[in-house]
Amino acid sequence: MSSDTKPLPIIEVLNIKKRYGLIQALKGISFSVGKGEIVGFLGPNGAGKSTTLKILSGLIPADSGEAKVCGVDLAEEEGEVRNHIGFLPENNPLPEDLRVIEYLNFRAMLKGLKGSRKRDRIRIVLDVCDLERKVSERKIGNLSKGYRQRVGIADALLSEPRLVILDEPTIGLDPRQSAITRKMMERLRGEVTFLLSSHILSEVEACCDRMIILSHGQIVAEGTLHELQTEFINKTVFEVVALTNRIDIHKKVRVLDDSCELLQDEPVEINGKRRFIFSTEKGEVLAEKILRHLLKDASLRIFEFQITKPDLETIFLRATKKNWEESDLLAKKSRRIYKENST
Amino acid sequence: MMNGYWVILRTELFSLFISPATYVSTFYFLALLGVGFRFFIESFASTNWILPPLSSLSVGLIFGSPALIPFLTMRTIAEERRLGTLETLMSAPINAGSIITGKWCASYIFFLLICCGAYAYPLLLWAVFPEQALTLGFNNFEHWIGGFIFLMSFGASFTAIGIFASSVTRNQMVAGMLSFSLITLYLAIMAFSYGDPSEVSTNSSFEELIQSIGGSLNNGLDKLQFFAVGIIHIPTILHQLIVVFLFLFLATLQVERIRH
Repeated sequence: MSSDTKPLPIIEVLNIKKRYGLIQALKGISFSVGKGEIVGFLGPNGAGKSTTLKILSGLIPADSGEAKVCGVDLAEEEGEVRNHIGFLPENNPLPEDLRVIEYLNFRAMLKGLKGSRKRDRIRIVLDVCDLERKVSERKIGNLSKGYRQRVGIADALLSEPRLVILDEPTIGLDPRQSAITRKMMERLRGEVTFLLSSHILSEVEACCDRMIILSHGQIVAEGTLHELQTEFINKTVFEVVALTNRIDIHKKVRVLDDSCELLQDEPVEINGKRRFIFSTEKGEVLAEKILRHLLKDASLRIFEFQITKPDLETIFLRATKKNWEESDLLAKKSRRIYKENST
Repeated sequence: MMNGYWVILRTELFSLFISPATYVSTFYFLALLGVGFRFFIESFASTNWILPPLSSLSVGLIFGSPALIPFLTMRTIAEERRLGTLETLMSAPINAGSIITGKWCASYIFFLLICCGAYAYPLLLWAVFPEQALTLGFNNFEHWIGGFIFLMSFGASFTAIGIFASSVTRNQMVAGMLSFSLITLYLAIMAFSYGDPSEVSTNSSFEELIQSIGGSLNNGLDKLQFFAVGIIHIPTILHQLIVVFLFLFLATLQVERIRH
C-alpha cells in the first residue's frame, strides 16, 4: 500500500517498551494501523504479541513510549480507550454458568448500552457471528470451542467499536469455524479496523491487508504480503515435473543461468515422474526463458512447469530466523561472561 | 464508570440468588440461629443477660458471621481469577474500584437480607405469643433499629474482609478459609475486652482520642450495649467504615496488581 492512499491511523505506536521482571517483553516497537484495515500480528511464542495487544486495549500500561488508539493517548487516559474498542483476550475466558444471551446482556450494559439500542446490538452481533437463537439460550459452559470463540467475538463487536483487537481468534477452531470467523471479518471490512494475532499463517494470509511480524519484542517485518515477498525472498522459485534425471536437467538449466540452484538433493517422485525445484536470482523472465529452453529438448519430457510464490510461512521463518540467531548469540555471550565472572 | 458499578452489583446479586451454595448456607445458618434463639428466649429468665433479649439475635448473627460471610464472598474475585474472566471484565470500560465495590455491595445486601430473615423469628414470636413478646420488650422499636444498625456496621466490615480474602487467591476454598480466619481474628480482638464498655468521651485529651480511634478493636463488641438499647454509637460506625474502606482499598490494589 502506498503512503498516499494510507487511511488515517487508528493506532499509532511509537517506541513502546514493556518489562516483566527480568524479561524485556517489548524492546521499543513502533507501527501504525489505518482506519478500516485488517492487520495481522504474527510472531513466535513469547514474541510480545499479547503484551502489545493488552497495552493497546488499555489493560496494562507500557513502561515507556507513546501509543494512541482511536485518538486516545494511552499514557494519559488508559481507561478511556476501552470505550472505543472491542477486545477478545487470548483463550477467551468466559463465565461458564451464564447463558449466551445473559452474558451479552451483561457485557452490553457494562459497555453502556441501554434499551432498544442494547437489544438491537445484541441481535446484530448474534447475526454477524452466526449465533442462532437456539445457541443464544444455551449456557456458555456447554458450548463447543468454536461457539465460545464466536461469543467472545460477538462481545467484542457489541458496542460498535471502531477498533477490534482479537488475540488468537481462531486458535483451536476447525477449518469450518475458522472460515466463519474470516467471513465475519470480511462482512465488517472497511467499517471496523481489525488487529488480530495468530499462529495460523494461512489464516492471516487469507484475510489480512497487512502483517506485522514480531520476534523477541521487536518488529522484524511489516507490510503487505507482496511487500514482504519482495523484501525477504528475492529469489524466484520454479518447479519442473519431468521424466529425466537431476544431472541432465540441471545441466540444461545452467546453460542459461549459472547461478540457478536445484533446491533438493533428491527430486520427489510422482507417478514415475520427478518434481525438480529450482531457484534463480534473475527473476521470472529468466525462469520463462528456461522453460522455453527445456521444451526444445524432447528427451527431457517436460509435463509441468510452475513459478511459485513464497508463502507467508517462508517469509515468517526468514524474518524471525535472523532475530533468533542474534538472540541465541546474545544469550551465549551472556552465559560465557557469567561463567568467566563466576570462575 | 458508575454504570459499571450498578451492572456488577446487579449481576453479583443475581448470581448470589441463583447459587445453590448460598441457599444451603443461608438455610443452615438461619435454622441454627432459630434453634439458638428459641432456647435463649425459653431460658432467658434464668440467665444473667443484662441486655434486651432481642440483642441475642445480633450476637448470634455476629458470631455466626465467620461461617456465613465466606459463603457469600469467597466466589466473588477468586472465581473470576480462576476462570480468567477478570481480564475480560477489565477490558470493558470499568475500573477495579467499581468491580470491588459492586461485588462488595452485592454480598453486603445479601448479608442484610439474611439478617432480615433472622429478624423474622422475633416477629413470628410476637405474632404467635404477643403477651410474652411484650414481656420480653419486643415492642421497643429502638431495640430493633439499634440492633439492626449494629449488624449493618459490622456486616459491612466483615463482607469487606471477605472480598479482600477472595481477591488474594484463585482458589475459592482458600479464599473461604482465609475469610473465616480473618473475620474470626477480627472478632476475637474485638471480643477480647467484652463486658468492659468504654464510656462516651466528654474530654478531648490525646489519649482519649487514640482510645476512640482504636475503640472498635479495643472494646469493639461492648458497643452492642449502646445499640441494643437504641443508642447509635457513631464512632463504632465510623470505625467499621474505616475497616470497610481499608479492606476494599486493599482488594482494589490487589486487582490492579493482577492486571499489571
